[in-house]
Amino acid sequence: MSQYYPALLIAIPLLAALFISASGWLRPALCFPLALTALGGSLLVSLGLLSNVIRGIPDVYLFGGWPPPWGIYYRVDHLSALVLAVVSIVGFVNLIAARPAVEKEFPEKAAPFYTLYVLFVTGLLGMVITGDAFNLYVLLEIAAITGYALIALGKGRAPLSSLHYIFMGTIGACFYLLGVGYLYIITGSLNMEDIARLLPPLYESKVVTVAFVILMVGIWLKMGFFPLHAWLPNAYTHAPSPVSSLVAPLMTKVMVYVMIRMVLTVFTVDYAFLVLKLNDAVVWLAVIAIVAGSLLALAEKDVKRMLTFIVVAEVGYMVGGFWLGNRAGFIGAVLHLVNDALMTLCLFLAVGNIVYAKGNSQWDSLPGLFRTMPWTMGALVVGALSIIGVPPTCGFFSKWYLLLGAIQGGHYGFLAALLFSSLVSVVLFFRIFEISYFEPFGASHGPDHGEDGPAGREAPLGMLVPLWMTALGLVLLGLYTGEIVDRVIRHAVPGMML
Amino acid sequence: MKNLGLLIVVLVGAVLIYATTDFPPFGDPESPASLHVSPRYLENSLEETAVPNVVTSVLVDYRGLDTMFETTVVFAAGVACFLLLRVPRRRTPAPRQYRHRLTGLTFRIKDGGEISLPLQEFEPMESIWTPHDFIIEKVCCYLIPFIQLFGLFVIAHGHHSPGGGFQGGVILGASIILLSLSHDLRTALKRMGEKTSALFSTFGVLIYAGTGALCLLLGYNFLDYQALDPLLPGGPVMARYHGILLVEVGVGMAVMGTMIWIFRNLASRGRHEEGL
Repeated sequence: MSQYYPALLIAIPLLAALFISASGWLRPALCFPLALTALGGSLLVSLGLLSNVIRGIPDVYLFGGWPPPWGIYYRVDHLSALVLAVVSIVGFVNLIAARPAVEKEFPEKAAPFYTLYVLFVTGLLGMVITGDAFNLYVLLEIAAITGYALIALGKGRAPLSSLHYIFMGTIGACFYLLGVGYLYIITGSLNMEDIARLLPPLYESKVVTVAFVILMVGIWLKMGFFPLHAWLPNAYTHAPSPVSSLVAPLMTKVMVYVMIRMVLTVFTVDYAFLVLKLNDAVVWLAVIAIVAGSLLALAEKDVKRMLTFIVVAEVGYMVGGFWLGNRAGFIGAVLHLVNDALMTLCLFLAVGNIVYAKGNSQWDSLPGLFRTMPWTMGALVVGALSIIGVPPTCGFFSKWYLLLGAIQGGHYGFLAALLFSSLVSVVLFFRIFEISYFEPFGASHGPDHGEDGPAGREAPLGMLVPLWMTALGLVLLGLYTGEIVDRVIRHAVPGMML
Repeated sequence: MKNLGLLIVVLVGAVLIYATTDFPPFGDPESPASLHVSPRYLENSLEETAVPNVVTSVLVDYRGLDTMFETTVVFAAGVACFLLLRVPRRRTPAPRQYRHRLTGLTFRIKDGGEISLPLQEFEPMESIWTPHDFIIEKVCCYLIPFIQLFGLFVIAHGHHSPGGGFQGGVILGASIILLSLSHDLRTALKRMGEKTSALFSTFGVLIYAGTGALCLLLGYNFLDYQALDPLLPGGPVMARYHGILLVEVGVGMAVMGTMIWIFRNLASRGRHEEGL
């Protein structure tokens, strides 16, 4: 059975998306249960893959039975198994939380919404598991198209932000495709490991250099790495809340994974770090990303918009950590990828609850929230502590590894940026806590309304349960950091970085 | 800002062109792209898949997974347009116009009004109504069946000549779009409803992915059409041939359904009542 896992991982949600679309016309009540079953199924499969990898069972799957490089194959290793698990957990948990919001905001469009939701997760899972550079592009297209549509579903300026995202995202995807095309013309292969085998004699070629640079720029555009982040805040702010809590944790993280995969498997670490010697420059770019993201977040007066800038800063953490080029930095980057996906999910879910109850997440609607929505705000606190990096939440441990990597690599600029951004996060979140805990909530409405407390109720149970699952997950991840690093991430560290 | 953009475009273009100096020469038979994977496709396609058109065998068999996801992209685009553009039907219809079939008289029904006469005698009219052009209507009426026949030919003959599911699907979709352009949207909707086009789109992809899953159920790898041997005549190699045909039909259905679906949502701004 387990040898079919890689195919099932993709086939289950893909087929389910089609069934959801059909049942939208024939039997609308089935849409949500189908989506839940599908993502639950792929969650189980991805956990099965992870346990296989930990036990050392290789997972290579040849589609159509053709051997590489002629056919397409999927390969699971420690790194991809970990990211697969994260993607499917986030997709599944967020789906449960999405239901009340979908029923409130666009009940008549539930079927196409769930179809695209499941397809989006399918695309991301495929991007992570695939061993073929062109197949990755096709899956990137699926994730992108569904992502644009879901984001444009929001109110107000959402379609415009999504259009902006489409322009930028298309350029990013084009750059990726162009890079793959350059690689194909010089090696004649699209299979990642095959390209890696054919590249070393061609390291001097200008084509490979330009292919590498253009691939990286394309991927950075897609992940919102600082100077290329302009599409991100608007797109994630205006998207409906169940969409922002899906896209924000996953899209950027998966693109970080794609960057790592490209460097590790296609170009090899030797090429990226020893031949091109770009690492120092990229870490400095990451420093700028972290500082700029944190400062821009300070200027915002809307919790959701503030979070989007935190996402920009966190991308800097991961890119910088990876390009430090040492063991601790690599572990930190991968661990942060896992942690940040869950932290972002937790925060965006909490904001989703606030938007559900209050209609928006402006600072004006915050006062009194600790009283009316204690559970939501409690989870927000856990998520915030994790972003700041307070033990025992998981954010502390990945930041610890990143700091360690910065010290070992002697990159004190990165060290300073990490510490600075943590301090800024403290300010950011305690400002929110202060407003929602201490600021008088009745006064602004005049004396008549001040007596029976602020209006609004706690979000429904269907949204609170997934939120608290995520919040507890943050603590659990923190407590089991050692296990994750020992059993999974340690095996993914490339030889040169040991 | 404009100049900065121009500068960046010129710079990126210059870098890309700079790299082409290291490209293998144009049309070089010794280039890596024609030496590495291509020979096997060219030499073995016929005996491995029984398909003489190598493009088809690479597209749908050797790299069939890519094509499955490309079809899914088309489907996703259709669903995206539907999700964003389609306006749910309103309870009380807006003012609308009808023409009495027998007398040619036109009526304007007010907001929320009803017609008490039997509805079959009336024909709804576009609010921006243009008189039907007899010549265009008739020419298209005679042309459309042949266009559709050609579309089916392109799908079915993709194994032997340029063509296949994508091209044939586009031709089939265009025939219905031509019908809505030459007559009006409602005539085309009467021939092929919104639900039908959406289900065509869905089931087309389902045929593709379902064929893959069927191979999995029969104990082979996903999309390994060889698994269909017990179900289809002609031995394992012909099973691949027939599997490819099956999948091409799915692609054709998906592309046709999606084209029509997207066209209607765009042309009528999601209202499906009038437009163009």
